[in-house]
Amino acid sequence: MGTVVTFDVYPGEFSDEDLLRESIESAVTILHDADDVFSTWKSESPLSRLRRGEIELDQAPLVVREVLDLCEVARSLSNGWFDPWSIPGGVDPTGLVKGWAAQRALEELHRHAIDGAIVNAAGDVASFGGPNGSSKFRVGIVNPAKPQTLACIVQSPGAVATSGEYERGQHLYDPFARTLATRSASATVVGPKLGLADALATALVIGGRDVLGAIVELQGYEGLIIEPDGSMRMTPAFPLVR
Amino acid sequence: MDYNFGILSVKVQVTGTKITNVSIGAINDGGNFRSVSIDQQAIPLLEQEAMQAQSANIQSISGASYTSAGFIQSLQSALTQLGL
Repeated sequence: MGTVVTFDVYPGEFSDEDLLRESIESAVTILHDADDVFSTWKSESPLSRLRRGEIELDQAPLVVREVLDLCEVARSLSNGWFDPWSIPGGVDPTGLVKGWAAQRALEELHRHAIDGAIVNAAGDVASFGGPNGSSKFRVGIVNPAKPQTLACIVQSPGAVATSGEYERGQHLYDPFARTLATRSASATVVGPKLGLADALATALVIGGRDVLGAIVELQGYEGLIIEPDGSMRMTPAFPLVR
Repeated sequence: MDYNFGILSVKVQVTGTKITNVSIGAINDGGNFRSVSIDQQAIPLLEQEAMQAQSANIQSISGASYTSAGFIQSLQSALTQLGL
């Protein structure tokens, strides 16, 4: 299965549209390149070869170490609830790498003098600026019980990541129960960077309230969970608009 | 984990105020690529929600990761199609 990445670029007064289109193409290439390295579907990707033990970490592209280092950070900050090393079949950073790649794609666009840009990677959103150069972007959070409606709206501090199983069914692995399981229906983490936010959202939907307590401790990151009964719970500074 | 984000084709829309680019990718179970097009038929169902999104002044949607097929049904797809 593949997915869809949406780019929204808000040109500024002095933007060169041709340059912007080139930049968007470069950003798309960044995503392709990440997929080529980290795909667990492509049997010859460096990550697949690492998982099979055919190569060592120091033989893989440098970005593999960068991503696995960030996975270590996310595992520690989430008290072990995000754990790519616990997943059967070998280390699987999928829960972080999409957000990490989208953040890199956004940074390519950020080189230009534009009002703002959004990279939405299958529901995980990285952005800078705003729709008119002064305000921040507002992001709707899908209602897990009725995915064609919204549960709430947040003001983005740069990254908004949401995890849940209502789109693709059961696929999230609980590293403590050692089975596919989630406690919450949906979890959203906002913060400065989408890679870490993506990993923490995965941890939060699996671990529920226990992980919300870990996110409270993190400077710059806030979390929201929506429970199976529809009730919402969030960290004190979560940027809820309504 | 049965999920990756292979990207195959790129579509660019230009509206008066912004440039929108949709990258669509799909990897089937055999690992062979196929292309997926956005189904225009799905849009009217979502148009009302997307219009509400516009009135709520939101620019993007965050939710559980969708596949290419799931994107067609998504609020983000409706926002994009309507050029909001």
